[in-house]
Amino acid sequence: MDIKTSFNSSSSGRSIPVTSSPVGPTLIDIDHVDFYYGASQALHDINLKIEEKKVTAFIGPSGCGKSTLLRCLNRMNDLIDGTRVAKGQIKIRGINIYDPSVDVIELRKRVGMVFQKSNPFPKSIYENITYGLRLQGRSNKSDLDAVVEKSLRGAALWDEVKDRLHTSGLGLSGGQQQRLCIARAIAVEPEVILMDEPCSALDPIATVKVEELIQELRTKFTIVIVTHNMQQAARCSDKTAFFYMGKLIEFADTRAIFMNPANAQTEAYVSGRFG
Amino acid sequence: MDSLRPAPNSDFLVNKKRVRVLGLSFDDAVKIFFGGNALVSVIVLALITYFLFQEGFGFFGQNHRNLLTYRQAGLEYVDYIRTQESAHTALTRYLSDLRLRQFNYATLEKNISPSAANESLVAFDDFAALYGDAVEPLRGLVSELTEQSTAIKTKFLVAEDKRVERQQLTTEGKIAEAAAVKIETVDFALEVKALTGTLPAYKELAAEFAKKLDAALVTAPAMPTPELKNRLERFRQLNSDFIATFPATTRSLETWDYTRAVPWYQAFSAFLFGREWLTASFWQDWYGIVPLFMGSLMVSLVALLLAVPMGVGAAIYVNQIASAAEQRFIKPCIEFISAIPSVVLGFFGIAVLGQLLRWLSQQDALAWVPGFPFSERLNILTAGCLLALIAVPTIFTLAEDALQNVPKAFKEASFALGATRLQTIIKIVVPASLSGIISAVLLGLGRVIGETMVVLLCAGNRIAIPDFTAGLAVVTQPVHTMTGIIAQEMGEVVRGSIHYRALFVVGLGLFFLSLAINFLAQKIVNKYRISIG
Ligand SMILES: Nc1ncnc2c1ncn2[C@@H]1O[C@H](COP(=O)(O)OP(=O)(O)OP(=O)(O)O)[C@@H](O)[C@H]1O
Ligand SMILES: [Mg+2]
Repeated sequence: MDIKTSFNSSSSGRSIPVTSSPVGPTLIDIDHVDFYYGASQALHDINLKIEEKKVTAFIGPSGCGKSTLLRCLNRMNDLIDGTRVAKGQIKIRGINIYDPSVDVIELRKRVGMVFQKSNPFPKSIYENITYGLRLQGRSNKSDLDAVVEKSLRGAALWDEVKDRLHTSGLGLSGGQQQRLCIARAIAVEPEVILMDEPCSALDPIATVKVEELIQELRTKFTIVIVTHNMQQAARCSDKTAFFYMGKLIEFADTRAIFMNPANAQTEAYVSGRFG
Repeated sequence: MDSLRPAPNSDFLVNKKRVRVLGLSFDDAVKIFFGGNALVSVIVLALITYFLFQEGFGFFGQNHRNLLTYRQAGLEYVDYIRTQESAHTALTRYLSDLRLRQFNYATLEKNISPSAANESLVAFDDFAALYGDAVEPLRGLVSELTEQSTAIKTKFLVAEDKRVERQQLTTEGKIAEAAAVKIETVDFALEVKALTGTLPAYKELAAEFAKKLDAALVTAPAMPTPELKNRLERFRQLNSDFIATFPATTRSLETWDYTRAVPWYQAFSAFLFGREWLTASFWQDWYGIVPLFMGSLMVSLVALLLAVPMGVGAAIYVNQIASAAEQRFIKPCIEFISAIPSVVLGFFGIAVLGQLLRWLSQQDALAWVPGFPFSERLNILTAGCLLALIAVPTIFTLAEDALQNVPKAFKEASFALGATRLQTIIKIVVPASLSGIISAVLLGLGRVIGETMVVLLCAGNRIAIPDFTAGLAVVTQPVHTMTGIIAQEMGEVVRGSIHYRALFVVGLGLFFLSLAINFLAQKIVNKYRISIG
C-alpha cells in the first residue's frame, strides 16, 4: 500500500491530525551523542528532542542504530561490556542521565521498556505485573490488586485474562504476552515507555490491538517506538526520526516525513526504494 | 561438425564405481563404525546388569541357609543368653564411668592427691567388683554353650562340604570315589537337646545372678555430690530395668524351637534392615546393609551440605556477576578440581585435612563447636569435606549451564523494571533455572555416592551405624560405606561364597541408587525444558 494514500485516507479512523501538531515541551533532550560498542562507533552526533506526551517513531534500515539509541535512553546499554557514550549528553527534564550521580535504578523506573520479543517472566500474570512494584517494596495486597487491574485495563488485556490472573504468563498468546509486557511496564507508572519493534513478532490482528493501545497510552505517557513498519510509524506517531548508518538524517513531524521529506535518502526509504 | 560437439554427459546418473572393501562402501564402513560403538556400550551395560544380578541374587538363597543354620545349630539360643551378658557388661561400663567422675571430683575439686583419692574409692571399687563378678557363673555357661553350638555348626558345615564334594565327583563320573566320601549326617534334634538341656541350670543361675546384683547394689557407698547421687540413682534404675528383662529371656529360651522355619523374606529383610555387617567371624556372619548405607548417606549429606552452597554460589557468581576476565580464570580452576585423581585427594585427606581438622577441634577457642574435640582423624567430616570437593565441579558446571540457559530477555525485562543485579538474580534468574540447579545437585549426589577411593581412605572404615544421639557431633564418628566395603573386601573373598555375593548385592544397591538419582535428575531437567519453552 502506498504510504501517502494511506496517510490521506480519512476513512482510517486512526489517521493523525492533518494540521501540524504544536511543539510541546521537551522531555528528553539528546544532545550531540556519540556512542560506541567497544571500538566501533554505532551512533554519530545524534541531536534530537523528544516531546512530552507524544509518540516519537524511530525508523531506518536494519543496523542503523535505532535500538542502540533507544537503549541509551534507559541506560540498558550499561549491561553490555565496553559500551560508552563518548560525547554529548542525554537529558531527561534537564538532568543528564549519564551523570555519575544519577541512580540508574530510579531512571529505569521512570523510563520503562517493551521489547521486540515479548518476554513475560515464567511466573503468573499477577506476579508479572506486580514484579516492578514489589521491587519498590510495595506489598499491600489490595494496593497491588488495584494496580494489576488498572494496568491490565490500560493494556486492554483485563477482559481476556481477569479469570486467570494466577496462571502462567507464558500460557498467553503472542499478542497477549506483548500486551502483558506493556501492562507490566505501565504498572510502575513510568513517564516514558520505550518500545523496540513491539509488533514485529505479532500477527496483523494483534498488531492492530497494540497500535490502538499506543493511541490510548499517548495521553498519559511519552512513547518512543522503533519500527520497521512504515504504515505503523505513519499511523501511530506524532514525530518521526529517520536514521541511516548511525546518523540522524531527518527528524520532523511524521506527516512531513512521509508527505514531503526534506532529504533524498528519507524520501527513498519511506517510499520503499531501499532499506 | 556436429560430431565434434561433446555428447551430453549423463554419467552422473550411473552409479560411480566406488572403492569397496569386503563388499562395503566407505559410507557403509563409517555407519558400521559409529553404530558399532553405540552398540558396544549398550551391550556392555546389559552385560554388567546381567552379571550383577546373576552374582547378586544367589546371595539371598545363601543368606537364607545362613540364617537357618544359625537357628538349627543353636547359635540363636546361645545368643539370647549372650545378649544378657553383654547388657551386664554395659552396666559395668557405667560403673567405671561413675568411678572416673568421683575420682575427678576428688582430685580436681577437692584437691586430694590421686593416691589418696584412690584410697577413698576403695569402698566403691569393692562394690563395683562385686557387681561385675556376679556375672561369672553366667559367663561360664555361655562359653560352654558357645563351644557346643560352634561344634554343631562346624559338623554341619563339614557335612555340607562333603556333600558338595560328592556331587562334584559324581558329575565328573567318578562314581566309586563319590561313594567313598563319607557324609556324617547331623542329627540336630539330638545335638540341640544338649543345649536346651541346660535350661534348668540357666534358670537357677539367672535367679542367683539377679539376687547377687541386688545384693551388690546394697553395698554401694554414698555419693559425695547431688549430681553423682543422681547418677547412682539412675544406675539403680538401669539395674532394675535389666533384671526386669530376665523373665522375657527365659521365655524366649523356653519357647525356642530349632525346627521353626525361617521365612524366606527374612533373607531379604535381614539384609535390608540388618544393623550389623560382620564377616569371617568364628560365631555368626551377619550381612546387614544399614551401617554401610548410613555411612554412605552421612558422608554424602555432609558433602552436599558443603558442596551445594559452594557449587551453586560459584556458578551464580561466575555466570551473573563476574567479569569476563574473572570467568576465564575461575571456570578452568573449578573444572580442574575434577581432574585431580581421587586417590590423591584421599591421600591429601589423610595427610593434611584429617590432621588439620583434628588439630582445629582440639583448640580451646573452638571447644564450643558440637563434637569438638575429637580424636578420630578419619571420620565422616573429613571424608565429607573431600567429597564436597569432588562434587563441586559437577554441581558448578551443570548449575552454570542451567543459569546460562535462562533467556537473556528475562534479565533485561527485570533490569528495565528497575531491578538491581541482586534482585534480578534472586527473583528471576535462580527461580527460572531452579530445576536445572536441582538436577545439578542430584547429579552431584550421584557422583558422591559412587565415589570410592576418598571414602575408603578417609571415612575411618569402622562398620557401625553412626550414633545419632550425639547430635551434630555425629559427623566426627568414623563410618564405613557401601563403595568402600566393596573395594576393601572384594579382593579377599572366595568366589561364589556368601560374602562374595553379599558384596555384589551391595553393588547392586549402589547401581540402583545411582540409577534412581540420575533418572530423577533427567526428569526434572526435562520438565524444566518444557516450562521455559
Ligand atoms: N552488543 C553489540 N555489540 C557490538 N555491536 C553492536 C551490538 N549491538 C548492536 N551493535 C552494532 O551497532 C549497530 C547498530 O545496531 P542496532 O541494533 O542499534 O541497529 P537497529 O537499527 O536496531 O537494527 P534493527 O532494525 O535490525 O534492529 C549495528 O552495526 C550493530 O552491528
Ligand atoms: Mg533493533
